[in-house]
Amino acid sequence: MTATIILGLSIAMLLFLLTSGLTLIFGMLGVINFAHGALYMLGAYLAYQIGESSGSFTVALVLTPLALAVVGFGIERWLLRPLYARDHVEQFLMTFGLILVINEVVRIVWGFGYVDASEPAFLSGAVEIAGSQIPVYRFFLLGVGVATGAALWFMIDRTRLGIVLRAAMTHPEMVRSLGIQVDKVRTLVFCIGAGLAGLAGAVAAPILPIQLGMGFSIIIDCFVVVILGGLGDIRGAFLAAILLGAIQTVGQQYYPEWTEIGKYVLLLLVLMLRPEGIFSRGSGRLA
Amino acid sequence: MMHSSARTPSAGRLRRRSAPYLMALGLAALAFVLIWLGSAPLVYLVTIIMIWAIATTGLDLVFSVTGILVLGHGALLAAGAYAFAILTMDFGMAGLPALLLACVAGALLGALMGAPSLRLSGLHMALATLAVSQIFFVLITVKLRGITGGTDGLPGVPRPELPLVDIYDDRIFGVFVVLMFLLALVVYARLRESPFGQILKGIRQNEMRVRQLGADVRLYKLASFAVSGAFAGLAGALLSGQSYIVGPEIATWMVSGELVIMIVLGGRGVFIGPVVGVAIFMLLKEVVSHHTPYWGGILGIVFILITLFMPGGLTGLFGGLFRRPTKARPAGEGRAAS
Repeated sequence: MTATIILGLSIAMLLFLLTSGLTLIFGMLGVINFAHGALYMLGAYLAYQIGESSGSFTVALVLTPLALAVVGFGIERWLLRPLYARDHVEQFLMTFGLILVINEVVRIVWGFGYVDASEPAFLSGAVEIAGSQIPVYRFFLLGVGVATGAALWFMIDRTRLGIVLRAAMTHPEMVRSLGIQVDKVRTLVFCIGAGLAGLAGAVAAPILPIQLGMGFSIIIDCFVVVILGGLGDIRGAFLAAILLGAIQTVGQQYYPEWTEIGKYVLLLLVLMLRPEGIFSRGSGRLA
Repeated sequence: MMHSSARTPSAGRLRRRSAPYLMALGLAALAFVLIWLGSAPLVYLVTIIMIWAIATTGLDLVFSVTGILVLGHGALLAAGAYAFAILTMDFGMAGLPALLLACVAGALLGALMGAPSLRLSGLHMALATLAVSQIFFVLITVKLRGITGGTDGLPGVPRPELPLVDIYDDRIFGVFVVLMFLLALVVYARLRESPFGQILKGIRQNEMRVRQLGADVRLYKLASFAVSGAFAGLAGALLSGQSYIVGPEIATWMVSGELVIMIVLGGRGVFIGPVVGVAIFMLLKEVVSHHTPYWGGILGIVFILITLFMPGGLTGLFGGLFRRPTKARPAGEGRAAS
């Protein structure tokens, strides 16, 4: 039982890492980034490559998010910025195009097959809790998830930067008149979001098979979490990821054939009955 | 002015009214010539373009006329394809009635997919259609795999057999598809101009006002989804007949996304935009993939460039040639007022 809970929570934290960037970008920029899954995949491949070249997992863990943030900078600056004033459909077309391009780049560089990144030595092995062996890496995932969540919450809710970010979303003109360059704020948000996708890819690399389709199906799970938590709501995303992780872990043990359907039915119900998210404390809150 | 135009429509108005039908006829004639005279690969390409164009034309009714972004349309094609395959193979039904029931299947799932629009709009609605299509995808791959063949799909789907001709001749099948395509375009042109289409257009522009004019907006939205689903069902059935197989891949969100993208490529809100979009998409795919294995990435770059530099789609480049109605508003924005 303990093992199941920890397993479920570690899946939830991975999902949260992936979703946090998506919901941040949506909340602050109003852009649904369909290419987020592709960025995550790119992150996993990069982490594998950096890990292989440097021989150090830690180096990969630090460099991958930074590399993805740079990619994010390019995407926001040259591809998304012209589209903010246009409708969601064009952002969809743009991010869909990005998926194809990123897939192609990955295919050219790493080919079609799977690649496998190894767990770092200091995180391998398992500890015994209540009679079952739990890999240390699962605890590491938990730690990264909680730390990231706390850091994001702190940044958005408690710092001057967070105030500027929130204001730039709701009152861009006012913020601009106060002498803050809203364009740069938006670029920063997208860089952070892309960096989070890179971080998710880097921590997922040692435990999941790294392959071309890895960002394809998980993006849908991310949408479920984003909606359950409330669009743009980091705290909600954290709780929703835990909920979804629990549903998946318990579901796969007891009702494997119904889990997937249940997940989407829940998504529909939340969309219909509580479109602001299950954990929302009212409207307009971001963190 | 009012009187004269009410009694005898001016020549200009008449021309404008008949323009969609002439365009439909012209496209069908072109397709017919290409299929009749072309080589086997060309016959295949034109047939495939016609089939997908039936689907995008149907989607256009919801997406461009009613103004709702749909990210689950692939499931409606799958509904038609599976209905056709199961009815003909398991129940031994004849091709044409099965084709009709495939439309019904698409319409039913379409109405179901449209149901959340009674409460939702914009991105929430788009994600709701995605959720419905995902549920359908899981159903056909897991829960109903006894009838649907799971991830393997159902091989050996027949074509709608006709008296006197051999439908298994690709050229004959192509001509049959051209006729279906023409039928779809004519129905679509008629719907757009009808009071039904006008109300849908009104819902896009100002839902509140249409409601206050006394129209039951909810029914109209559902009906537009159902009609759109019927088109998709037809396309799905034809697609399975074309390739003799039906698989769950057409119900994935990538296919749903591609359908939307084809319309945007062609030009949203333009009568032949959906057809032009499919043609460009398929041509790019076929032509580029012949020359380089990297066609996926090139297609992506084309999407990105079109989004940046050609917001009106390809037909937008020739604005004077095609009648361009009022600019399509962002999906579901009309709801913001309510």
